[in-house]
Amino acid sequence: MNKFGKFAKTIPMKLYILLALVIVFAFFSNDFGLVDIQKTAIILAAGIDRTENGFAVTAQISIPKGTDRSSCGTSSVEILGEGDTVSACIAQIYSKTGWVPKLVFCDLIVIGEETAKQDVFGCLDFFLRNEYMPDSCLLAVCEGKASDTLTMSSAIDDTSSLAIGKLFSDAAGKSGKVVKSTLKEFSIGYFGKAKSGHIPFVRSTNQTGGCTSNSSGPEGGPSSGAGENEKKIFSAEETAVFSEGKMVALLSRAETFAYNLLKGNVFSGVFSAEDNGDPVSLTVLKDEGGVSLDMKGAPKAVLSVNLRVRLYNSGVPAPVENMAESNPSPETVESAKRIIDGYVDALWKKCAESGCDLFQLSKSLYRSSPQKYEEWKDTLLSAIQPEIKTEIRIVK
Amino acid sequence: MAKISARQLFFFLACVAPVGKIILMPSALVQAANNDLLFPAAANFLLQAGVIFLVMLLSRSNQTFYQLLANTFGKIAAKIISVALTLFLLYCALLPILEQKLFVQSIFYDTLPSLIAFAPFFIFSAYLCAKQLSSLGRVWDIIAPISIVGFFGIIVLAVGNADFGALMPVGAGGGKGFLSGTAYTMLWFYDSLLVLMLMGRFEYKKGMAWKAAVFYLVGAAAVLFFLAVFYGIFSDIAIRQIFAFAKISRYFSAITVLGRIDYIFIYALGLVMAFYCAMPMQAAAECLSDAFGGGTLRSALYSVGINAVMLTITIALDYSFGSVRDTVGYRLFWLFPAVCVGLPLLALCLRRKKYEQIR
Repeated sequence: MNKFGKFAKTIPMKLYILLALVIVFAFFSNDFGLVDIQKTAIILAAGIDRTENGFAVTAQISIPKGTDRSSCGTSSVEILGEGDTVSACIAQIYSKTGWVPKLVFCDLIVIGEETAKQDVFGCLDFFLRNEYMPDSCLLAVCEGKASDTLTMSSAIDDTSSLAIGKLFSDAAGKSGKVVKSTLKEFSIGYFGKAKSGHIPFVRSTNQTGGCTSNSSGPEGGPSSGAGENEKKIFSAEETAVFSEGKMVALLSRAETFAYNLLKGNVFSGVFSAEDNGDPVSLTVLKDEGGVSLDMKGAPKAVLSVNLRVRLYNSGVPAPVENMAESNPSPETVESAKRIIDGYVDALWKKCAESGCDLFQLSKSLYRSSPQKYEEWKDTLLSAIQPEIKTEIRIVK
Repeated sequence: MAKISARQLFFFLACVAPVGKIILMPSALVQAANNDLLFPAAANFLLQAGVIFLVMLLSRSNQTFYQLLANTFGKIAAKIISVALTLFLLYCALLPILEQKLFVQSIFYDTLPSLIAFAPFFIFSAYLCAKQLSSLGRVWDIIAPISIVGFFGIIVLAVGNADFGALMPVGAGGGKGFLSGTAYTMLWFYDSLLVLMLMGRFEYKKGMAWKAAVFYLVGAAAVLFFLAVFYGIFSDIAIRQIFAFAKISRYFSAITVLGRIDYIFIYALGLVMAFYCAMPMQAAAECLSDAFGGGTLRSALYSVGINAVMLTITIALDYSFGSVRDTVGYRLFWLFPAVCVGLPLLALCLRRKKYEQIR
């Protein structure tokens, strides 16, 4: 009896502790905030275009596919909202559909080409402010209108934004063909001393020379051939560069590759050179690129590319001994060096002419000497002379 | 009554007290001092460590602060001062509670939840406040390892993405940045007052004074490193990055594949923060117990009363966080050094038994 009395006395406290633990767990885990998929718009990507009255936002919303096992991928629907701000557009999408827009899964923001020519932070401000939106989401500028790009039917994935997102994989980045940019990175460049940044430029082409199986087509019917539902292939080998939020130039494929080399990003990337007039491909095994600012005397930017490459492919038939040795001639190395020098030079000229401080030299100068930064901040880019140092070594 | 051990107190100073400074303080520091954010934070930590050292010396008498007040001024004056101190402790708790609320609403929910979602915190807090401060020793034993795991987990995921060059050039914020950064973040530095309230709840042992200061500085070093990583990751947009500790780890490359595994560490630190956030209220309840008598029923009444008041204030100020921050952090910032530094220094003059007499 005595024991039971003691136990009974402790019950309320134990219950209280248990209740407190359950409530605290529920409070922290947000289990009560289960997402009702029927009432929620899970936005996978947002496309933004400027209109006469403000903005048009195309939200690509993921929709449940049901239990049809024959289909695969992710289905989506694109809803357009218009308003004088991006948030007004999102609100219109809510009122049109009745779905509560959730941006927590939004991994891509596509900006229309014309929209990018004005200060894009009018579009991006909403996303940077939004606490429920990850600032690690990718940015892309597209050819034409963003609404058109997002509503295109991709040959790679049922959902165009997922197909575009695949272009920015780590592997694609290491190939040197693509420069990806996140909202955070672009914002740091925009608000930083350089006021410059870059965003990959997405183009679409019709799918040719292949057929598409029914299983990968959108739900509701087999994929069609040519015509309105023609499948598209996306590419992002060019890069839009920005100064003060405005797109000021478009880097070509070669310039994009040069930028990646200078950033030291490339591993297993391939570029073409010549061997006694014959085309060959070299693969980059090691890339030590860098850009440094030398303010002793006249301002000078040293753009250095230090590569270790291997002969990857010859464009003409070669004896089997050559294949075994894989020993390119000195002319190949010279040709490769000349080509990379040309890419880097073109990249520098384009940035200097467009006023884009792509290499964040103003930031470097500010960090090393705020006084010199104050002296040079308005004229730095035009005053700097580039010095290109390319070194290529062959790995046998 | 079981007392807090030296180990438990050191756990509090090194592992629990620092976590309250990594939610909104980093962006507030950037707002005032830009890339020089480490210096104002270091100044506040050093000041607090010095005051904690003095409070620990004072605690050699093994008397509570209320007992010292009663010895010196008599019981009535001690009660009046205790009531004033209770109010100040609730004032200290106000902004951390509001920031904890905003943090939970923004990070753990994917759309803005209803106001009532934060109410369970006060049930948790009411339980804590009904307990004596000395019971916190066991709590610190448990949450200190959680804090260490949470903190290091986040730092390990984040440090690879930090560009420490962003902290350059040193001194760009100037003296004004340093002073305003120091002043406007003082609202997060009330640890010396908490230690003052803990006096008499732990047994002073030789060397505890300098050890307590050193352990506090160990926690401070961890926060300073955190601030460096934070600024290294966000640099020019750091000013915009509130809820810093929940954001710096999400750029870890494997997160795109594995999902937000960093949430494990964020939850761990969130749990520790909940205890730290409730501590001023617990100290306030203890203050009332010291002055007007304790016991199970009275302690429960103090706890319910304090939490009801804080819940009401939290609801009333739901849309006024900016105004509260401006008032508490900017206009009335001087209250914090006046009480959290001035009061412990004045307490050194209080009449107490000599350490040798107790031994």
